[in-house]
Amino acid sequence: MYRLSQTLTDAFSRRFSRTVREDYRQDEAYASTPQGRFWLAVAIIGVLVLPLLLPQYPLFVTTQIMIAALAGLGLHLLVGGAGQISLGQAAFVGIGAYVSSHLSGDLAPLGILAGGLVAALIGIVLGIPSLRIKGAYLAIATLAFQFLADYVFKRWTAFTGGVAGRSLPAEGTFLGLPLADDRVVYYLGLVFAIPMFFYAKRLLSTRAGRAWFAVRDNDLSAQLSGVDLVRSKLTAFALSAFYGGIAGGILMHLIGAVTPENFVLAFSIQYLAIVIVGGAGTVLGAVLGALFIVLIPEILSVMAGAFGPQYVAQLSAWRSVAFGVLILLFLILEPRGLVGLWGRIRDYFRTWPLPY
Amino acid sequence: MSETLLEVHDLHLSFRGVKALAGVSFSVAEGDLFAVIGPNGAGKTSLLNVLSGLYRPQQGRVVFMGEDLAGQSPQQRVRKGLGRTFQNLELFRGMTVLDNVKLGAELAVGGYTDLMPKAQIEWKIRHHAEEVLDYLHLSPYRHVPAGALPYGLQKRVEVARALAGRPRLLLLDEPMAGLSLEEKQDLARFLLDARREWGVTLVLVEHDLKAVLELSTGVLVMSYGEVLYQGAPAGVRENPRVAEAYLGRSA
Repeated sequence: MYRLSQTLTDAFSRRFSRTVREDYRQDEAYASTPQGRFWLAVAIIGVLVLPLLLPQYPLFVTTQIMIAALAGLGLHLLVGGAGQISLGQAAFVGIGAYVSSHLSGDLAPLGILAGGLVAALIGIVLGIPSLRIKGAYLAIATLAFQFLADYVFKRWTAFTGGVAGRSLPAEGTFLGLPLADDRVVYYLGLVFAIPMFFYAKRLLSTRAGRAWFAVRDNDLSAQLSGVDLVRSKLTAFALSAFYGGIAGGILMHLIGAVTPENFVLAFSIQYLAIVIVGGAGTVLGAVLGALFIVLIPEILSVMAGAFGPQYVAQLSAWRSVAFGVLILLFLILEPRGLVGLWGRIRDYFRTWPLPY
Repeated sequence: MSETLLEVHDLHLSFRGVKALAGVSFSVAEGDLFAVIGPNGAGKTSLLNVLSGLYRPQQGRVVFMGEDLAGQSPQQRVRKGLGRTFQNLELFRGMTVLDNVKLGAELAVGGYTDLMPKAQIEWKIRHHAEEVLDYLHLSPYRHVPAGALPYGLQKRVEVARALAGRPRLLLLDEPMAGLSLEEKQDLARFLLDARREWGVTLVLVEHDLKAVLELSTGVLVMSYGEVLYQGAPAGVRENPRVAEAYLGRSA
């Protein structure tokens, strides 16, 4: 009887619960259970068919979320992973955007890739101070880089077009498809975004991720566990910049132009906010953080519009205040970020009808 | 006679006139459980820091497996098989126990270029790490962040991380400090088993004189950076210089 009940319980848990894994390979897979695989498939198919369902403006916002999530994910590898605070992510987005604006049309994917690679090279250079300085001092060094990049964007007219920026020809096409169409840009971005998300997830759970977390938690001990500090810090900076650069290339195609005001300090802080609100430690955090940071202002302005057109001007000032208060509340009430909130909801429903 | 694994010749280390080590020499044979004891401030931890490459001695040589370690970084020494644990816990507190141990296991299993994850090697690392976790009875805590565990378990995780790298020589800095009697006995059992089964040579810095005299095969007594006694544990209690350093002149 005991044996029977045990067999039944085992079979039940294997089928319905997320906790039973039969070997280590399953434990380390992207989605280790049937439900996990199901929801992963639903998410990917959802992301693929989204442009066919959404009208133009919501699709524009969705693409913005994808871009913010990519840049935020890069910063997340650096801040949440290796523990190096950077206030210069917007500069890398800018570098990617400017470089890719020189290679458009049929070469668009190559241009985006080149933007990422150039950003990564500059990222390694920015990483060099991190070998000597830590914490707030490093943040100041990256802040200086942010201002320097802003200056170059505005003054190096031959490459960046100066304050006016550069704009793509409106009739540009990619393999015969118009690049002015947001759907084309969305799919172009997805070609980069999906593999890069899986890659980041893989990295964080394997050797590179362990080395980064070790550097973040205790660099003395990391050294004595055989971690190469120089290499891990520089790869974290390079990858973070690469993700930022790719995001910049997609952003450039989405807007169809590139101007310096898209890459100022406020955006660097916004990317940092994505990391913090999303919750450090996972790739999902970057996506949830980007959703929150990009969607909330949109939702607030829709709410402002609902009161009537005469209030829109007045309420837009209050919109920023509400946004700030929401972020503050978030940090106080749920320090682990949206990922922590999601985990709590999931844990509640895991044992849902019989919590004890 | 077993082979000499570690030789230390005439180490001198001083911090702006304060002498931490003044002419320390000893050797550890393969398979030993070598204990270093001495009153507070005797220079025991400084000695370990010199051995693992965190401090550079002003004078003297450290020879490990027949090779002079002068000028080698801590990472290089760890990769050669010179493991280390710390007196104050230096765990990766935000990482899970499993990840802590996996980081150590990379040293034994072998790494790969970190930007190109290789599943085969990852599974080997996981397998190896699980073996060590099982050995130290840590498997139930594998997914818990190391910082959230009680003190005794954190100590054990640190030993697990060091043992997972399969070091030839493991430097343990007061592994038993702050543990209860049972925890001490467990840890001593694990260390003795590791020595027997995996052939790990142990160098142990310890205050617990009773534990040292029961466990070790050789003892080095230090005081103010100098060696007072070196030899078999049985002779420690009879040595007049040791008694003086521990108990004062009148004893």
